[in-house]
Amino acid sequence: MNHRDAIDDAATGAADAAAAAGATPAAAHQASAAAETHRRRDAWRVAVLFAVVLVACVGAYLAVTLPGAWFPGASPAAWGAKELVLARGTGRVQGGELIVSAPDASGVTLITVTSNLRASDYHGVAWVVAGLREDAEVRLLWRTDVQPGKLNLLPVRVESGRTLLIVITPKDQGWIGHVTGLALAIQGPLPQPVTVRGVIAKPMGAWETLADRFREWFAFEAWNGASINTVVGGAENQDVPMPAALAAVVAICVGIILLLRRWRPRAFVAAVPTIAVALFIAAWLLLDVRWTWNLARQERATALQYAGKTPHEKLLASSDAPLVAFLDKARAVLPSTPVRVLVAANADYFRERAAYHLYPHSVYARPRSNELPDPATLRAGDWVLVYQRLGIQFDRQHGKLRWDGHAPRDAELKLVEPGAALFVIR
Amino acid sequence: MDIFTLWLGWVLVGACGAAIVALAYARSALIAGEGAPAFVVGCGWFVGQFALTLWMRAQSAVGVPFGVASIGLPLLAVTALTAWLALRRNRGSIVALLRDAPRRFLGAGLVRRQRALWLALVAWIGIRLALLLLEVLRRPLYPWDAWTQWATKARVWFELRRMAPFVPLSDWLAAPAGSVYVDAAPHYPATVPLTQTWSATLLGRWDDALVNLPWWLSGVAFGLALYGCLRQLRFGALAALAGTWLVLSLPILDTHVALAGYADLAMAAYLTLAALSWLRFVQTREWPDLAIACVLSAACVTIKNPGIVWVAMLVPGIVTAWLPRRGRMLAAVAFAVAAAAALVLTETSVTILGYRLQLDYDMPWRGLFDAYLAYANWHLLFYGALAVTALGWRRLLQPEVAPFTIIVAFGVAFLLFGFAFTNARIWVEDQSTVNRATLHLAPLIVVWMMMAFRAWAEGLRNLDSPGDAVAPREGMMPPA
Repeated sequence: MNHRDAIDDAATGAADAAAAAGATPAAAHQASAAAETHRRRDAWRVAVLFAVVLVACVGAYLAVTLPGAWFPGASPAAWGAKELVLARGTGRVQGGELIVSAPDASGVTLITVTSNLRASDYHGVAWVVAGLREDAEVRLLWRTDVQPGKLNLLPVRVESGRTLLIVITPKDQGWIGHVTGLALAIQGPLPQPVTVRGVIAKPMGAWETLADRFREWFAFEAWNGASINTVVGGAENQDVPMPAALAAVVAICVGIILLLRRWRPRAFVAAVPTIAVALFIAAWLLLDVRWTWNLARQERATALQYAGKTPHEKLLASSDAPLVAFLDKARAVLPSTPVRVLVAANADYFRERAAYHLYPHSVYARPRSNELPDPATLRAGDWVLVYQRLGIQFDRQHGKLRWDGHAPRDAELKLVEPGAALFVIR
Repeated sequence: MDIFTLWLGWVLVGACGAAIVALAYARSALIAGEGAPAFVVGCGWFVGQFALTLWMRAQSAVGVPFGVASIGLPLLAVTALTAWLALRRNRGSIVALLRDAPRRFLGAGLVRRQRALWLALVAWIGIRLALLLLEVLRRPLYPWDAWTQWATKARVWFELRRMAPFVPLSDWLAAPAGSVYVDAAPHYPATVPLTQTWSATLLGRWDDALVNLPWWLSGVAFGLALYGCLRQLRFGALAALAGTWLVLSLPILDTHVALAGYADLAMAAYLTLAALSWLRFVQTREWPDLAIACVLSAACVTIKNPGIVWVAMLVPGIVTAWLPRRGRMLAAVAFAVAAAAALVLTETSVTILGYRLQLDYDMPWRGLFDAYLAYANWHLLFYGALAVTALGWRRLLQPEVAPFTIIVAFGVAFLLFGFAFTNARIWVEDQSTVNRATLHLAPLIVVWMMMAFRAWAEGLRNLDSPGDAVAPREGMMPPA
């Protein structure tokens, strides 16, 4: 590696040229010092430009998105799960969450809360809801003291099973006077329980909005079942993705530098590619700092869960614990040499997971289907492991095992626990 | 003690591969070139890993049970023999290479500012790798496919000490008891599970976390090999390290190290190194490059079923490098023929490699936007790729860049075709496959981006000072 910079730079080029042209050491030193000065000046100018463009982009974003005053006097108003009323539907409050398990007979779920908000102070309502269908029909309802008899409503967008912030603009004419009640209506059946942690009315000022974006970007993203496929980078729903924001800032900076070079060629001595790559690397580094910070937090969580444990203790410390505990007992009953085991479970996860833990037995667990083969296709000596599977009946008196309407097979019950059992076919 | 054996066993695999690569290149200029130590160790690890799985296949085929000695001793013998032969052939270069490696790792030879940047970047990468290592060593097998279709085989083969066959469900029902096995993907290749089998054999037990050590080692080795390759592509030390960092910092790649158990990381590494080896062979026409390219390409085919398509995607780029004048025309014709054939096939609703072709074009743009530009999967990779395309489009087909451009173009076309015309569309919309499939090509996109950027920057320099007699500087700029 020689002494030349990895980055192209006209000023350093001049210094090199001076040296190459056989200039005196003093002249070469002078040229080198000048190059260093230019480089530092460019670095400062680029940093300042980056900061200015960043501030300008933030300002433009706020100007476009804020529906009301930039610096409102009101504070956010929040209601937790205990203050919510499930007016229609079935559910219960547990662990700081309202868990709604079913709508009412007409298929409507309605959650209400009594409020006293000055409408002009608040421009956003955020229901903290999870577990919704992507196509769920959800609405925000409210009443005011101006027209107490009128029920106002706005549709609520759902993404990744969660409701998004509802921004109320001056066009929404019912948002006047004092808001005396807020409600969330979900139309249609609920395939899985919906959890509601509360509702927040937001003034949506500049600081609050920026704090929200910051929280979204730097929210801890723990490993989950989808992590192997997608890294979201912070909160699941984000108003502005951080990569897009940084890419926009870098692109604008490079655009400004290109324009500046046309009108004021001496504004930057460094070549445009050099500056562009420096900005790109800086933006990439910012994203990488976020990602590394998230990795460090994840590692801490992993250490708390698994550090110092044996492989088996780790399994018992995971979400598999109840299944593993049952499989430990099943393994004690199963022969030590590999046998054929049919695994039956309603959930794909338990079926596949049980199979994995039972290897090297020759395990049959149908992926992505709860369907079981006809018992007639099994042989004497085959085993059937049942874990949270509906539709399997055992006649203890006659030793008959049957499932899904097929003809029964002779079988012997070898192990039973609530929701789980192990049989051997006879 | 068992974890010591585990590390030792994998060091042996790496050493075996490094010795093979060193022997192959013993009389080549590459061994004395820039980045040689990193390349030999990094690429060697992948060669060694593949050699290990070939040996285990052979051993199982002839009925020798898996064991530390039965697998390790032959590897040790091969390592000793190849290392001895390599030293005999070119003792001077190899000893110098080993002697200089630590100094180079610490940035010796760089000027002060560059050295500070170098060390900062090395430390930053080191922090990343340390976090990933802790995660790999502590977390039991976590992601879904890892324990439904990859480690399933490894676990059985470790317990039985041989490669028992995995068959479809219908065959399982009909087969004699205990003779065959079934999992969610019985047709998937054996290379990746065999690496876990070797880990478990070294440990003497099945450990859900420690069997995944090869994933972390793959990440480290890939970084080394990529650095070496970028140096061979005449990037300066700092630029090559920056390129390596760009790849190793990709969140989706890191996730595939941390949540070990999938084959996509291995696919990405082998494919990238195979492509770079082929292009190097076209340049040097030396048999070691050809041999390494063939080995790595063969590995691609045995890692994942789409590996054969990925290797086929390299062919137009290799032809372009081989025949610079006619190659681009041939690539264009190949592209047109492939596109026409693909469109014809979509009318047949045929299923290829598990993907069902369908003619109703419907590109899931929103899913692609989220995956590539909105979410954190790729940092700024695709913004950079788009910017380089926009800025340097005139130079994308110049001789040095064209092979990379064509490989990336075919790869991207393959991905987009799959997303638009097969059942993979829904896996883009739900973000379940789009990033994993793209991961295979992503490191090559980084290399292409660097090559294209360098060509663009060099072009601008020439425009600014057409008569400039000063030699281009080392680093992002190509040598004269």
